[in-house]
Amino acid sequence: MPPCIRPSNVSSSIASCSSIRPRSIPQPARAARDFSQSSSRQITKRRRQFYQWLNGPGRALKEPLPGSTNYLGAYDRFGNLIRADNRYLTGRKKKEEAEEGEDEAASKSGQEADETDMTERRLDEAAENEDKKQEELKLPPESKEDLRPFPGNKYFQSQPVLSEDLREAIYQAMVDPVSPMSLPAASVHFGVSNERIGAVYRLKHMEKEWIAKGKTLAIPYRQAVMDMLPKTPYVSDKNKRPIPHEPINDLIVHPATRQQLFVPVAESRVFTRVDAGKAFDNNLLPADERIPHPEMVQVERDTLSGMSAAERFERAKERLLTQIKEKTEKEEAAKEAEKAALTRVPRRRWDFVIQNVSVESVGKNGRDHRGVGWRYGLPHEDRKKGQVKIPTSVEA
Amino acid sequence: MRKKGRFHSLKKLRPRQDWSRWSLYSISQLNRPNTATKTYFQQKWTAKSLTRAYHGEQIREKVWKRLFKRNLPAVVPMDYKHLARYDGSEQAAGRGAGRDIKGGSKTPPMTPYMQMTYYPIERRLDSAIFRSLFASSVRQARQFCVHGLVKVNGKKMVYPGYMLNPGDLFQVEPSSVMYATGAPKKRSSTARKVAKEKATARADEWNQKSNPPTTPEVQRITAREEPTPAELKTHLQTLMQDVQAVLNEEVSAKDKQKFRALRQQIRKSIGLWKTASPESVSTLDSQFEFLKNAINARAAQDAAEASNAEEAESTSLISEDDKEKLREAFEKLKLETEHTSAWNKRNAAAPYATPWRPRDYMSAFAFIPRYLEVNQNICAAVYLRHPVARPGLAEVPTPFHLETGQLAFNWYLRRR
Repeated sequence: MPPCIRPSNVSSSIASCSSIRPRSIPQPARAARDFSQSSSRQITKRRRQFYQWLNGPGRALKEPLPGSTNYLGAYDRFGNLIRADNRYLTGRKKKEEAEEGEDEAASKSGQEADETDMTERRLDEAAENEDKKQEELKLPPESKEDLRPFPGNKYFQSQPVLSEDLREAIYQAMVDPVSPMSLPAASVHFGVSNERIGAVYRLKHMEKEWIAKGKTLAIPYRQAVMDMLPKTPYVSDKNKRPIPHEPINDLIVHPATRQQLFVPVAESRVFTRVDAGKAFDNNLLPADERIPHPEMVQVERDTLSGMSAAERFERAKERLLTQIKEKTEKEEAAKEAEKAALTRVPRRRWDFVIQNVSVESVGKNGRDHRGVGWRYGLPHEDRKKGQVKIPTSVEA
Repeated sequence: MRKKGRFHSLKKLRPRQDWSRWSLYSISQLNRPNTATKTYFQQKWTAKSLTRAYHGEQIREKVWKRLFKRNLPAVVPMDYKHLARYDGSEQAAGRGAGRDIKGGSKTPPMTPYMQMTYYPIERRLDSAIFRSLFASSVRQARQFCVHGLVKVNGKKMVYPGYMLNPGDLFQVEPSSVMYATGAPKKRSSTARKVAKEKATARADEWNQKSNPPTTPEVQRITAREEPTPAELKTHLQTLMQDVQAVLNEEVSAKDKQKFRALRQQIRKSIGLWKTASPESVSTLDSQFEFLKNAINARAAQDAAEASNAEEAESTSLISEDDKEKLREAFEKLKLETEHTSAWNKRNAAAPYATPWRPRDYMSAFAFIPRYLEVNQNICAAVYLRHPVARPGLAEVPTPFHLETGQLAFNWYLRRR
């Protein structure tokens, strides 16, 4: 029996002389390879489901929603925007129809023109019609559920970031030539935590430096990202209070307070927060002093005791001054102590400066530079096996 | 060695730290862990493997085990008014005498400690870069570090495993950020045409070099004066792109109208490019130049007016404050336009599609956790503090259910 020869798609005369055949002859794609009996091109069920999801519910997530966040949690199982009301839906439908109409018109009119021309025209027409439709496409504000990028985790949500104007306002308030705001004051005024105020100042300062140097800022990137994120807006009206960005009086859960205690206390005794702190740990301060803004509590206490505004201001000022004074005194005392620890022996040309070094200060691994051995040839270990050389800190 | 499975597998859906459609799909398909038919060990194992595929999959298990901490950080927001009013004794007052508190104070929401298992990983430099939206995946962020595109406190940091300290400022090269977050480049018909034209030009040049010019000088000069239709067309197209670039910037409505009219004219000429004469092209050119100059002149005039206003304040209708504001706004607009056009101009050499636009599915992943403060303009961010849990909210971004988090935490808790 002769061997079964499969029919070829290309005529044998061309196929035989492969050297003259140009590479670009379009060949119809075959269903499977000649030697394979199984249909390997078959799309699996999982793959089909994946593309079904991507073209169905996942379609809305491909492009950002104009003027809003666009998270997975804002959609239901079928890809419908949960918070969208009827007005928005009709506006959107209209827009889509209009776009389709435009496309058709463009394809009809621009047949003689070439391809680039057509795309340009389409872009242009879309831009012209955009501003008219902006009013119709207004979404209601996001709820807590709409801000969940991970619908499975209801304990995480995308929290607002500082808007560009607010950052600028914070920076301007802190560098104001007439009455610059101090860091804690800016924190209380804008409702932004101390660390964030410092960071905003640093980053803004760097930005100004960049502009002065003539470096190119990533403005299109900033615009795109800020459009996708929830933002805390800046209230430019001086008479209105700024919208607080985050809780500024966060109390860190101290490890000593993680355990439960059973402390019997006499009923007649007034057991306050100070006592509770002592019960957990002897050095644990009460919450009033551990929060980032203890001065707010003191001002509030003054208010409750019925003081006038002028009196309160005077007392707050006094407290601030004493605080600064104490701090400087402490620093000076530390300097003095450092000086006193050195013994000077004057000589004709140079003085001998003798410093006490304790054996205990070598630390846990015996290698600390404050200890005894370091300046007498303690060998480095950086060539040993298994030494981690990643730095642990970088000086600012 | 066994072959590694696919990074994004549809057979085994695992969310990864990137902005891909596969990750989005797997996040959408996640649900609570199956506890009914599995032993406790199996539950813990699955939870651990699922969460580890997301959190620091680039870190070896041994390294992560050393990083793991069983003490999870948390904060409680305090009300300063309450602290001022009460000293804490009111909570116990009268309890011994039989006073009972029935729903007097609301119980605060639960603090989700168990979602904080992987908080030490968020401290790593590569994770922080990904979380501040400077890279489209942790792997890419890691590559940026290794390639020396990342600075920490102004010094180059090549270790992606550098543990950020609170207050550290890190910055990434803006062009790399634009590349990472921008839509990828695609070969369009225009690009192909441009490439073809370039190739023909090069071939012509080569031919000319190989064949010494036989034509006299005079003829060549006349040929220069009378450009070929193809050249005219390319010139028209570049002109068109210039106009497009100006329109992409923010210009006033009237100017926009003029520019659109000009573009219409150019488009027509492109349509009729075979019949276009060099004269018509030059008039279009001059028109474009004129419009551009007009805009610049107006801008200069505005600035001058603003400066003059300080001298003649009594006569002017607008107050000085308003003028100052106007000038500031104008300068801001000018600056933004300059920078935007620098990034957005058609540039075949740019590694991203120009004009720049965010990549697909980016908006579904765009969030910045509170422990970072980011300035997108300079592509820099500050690591403010370690992530914390607070009542009702965990700051570590994790796509998994609370129970999965608990099981994973328990997996690492054993033998400890």
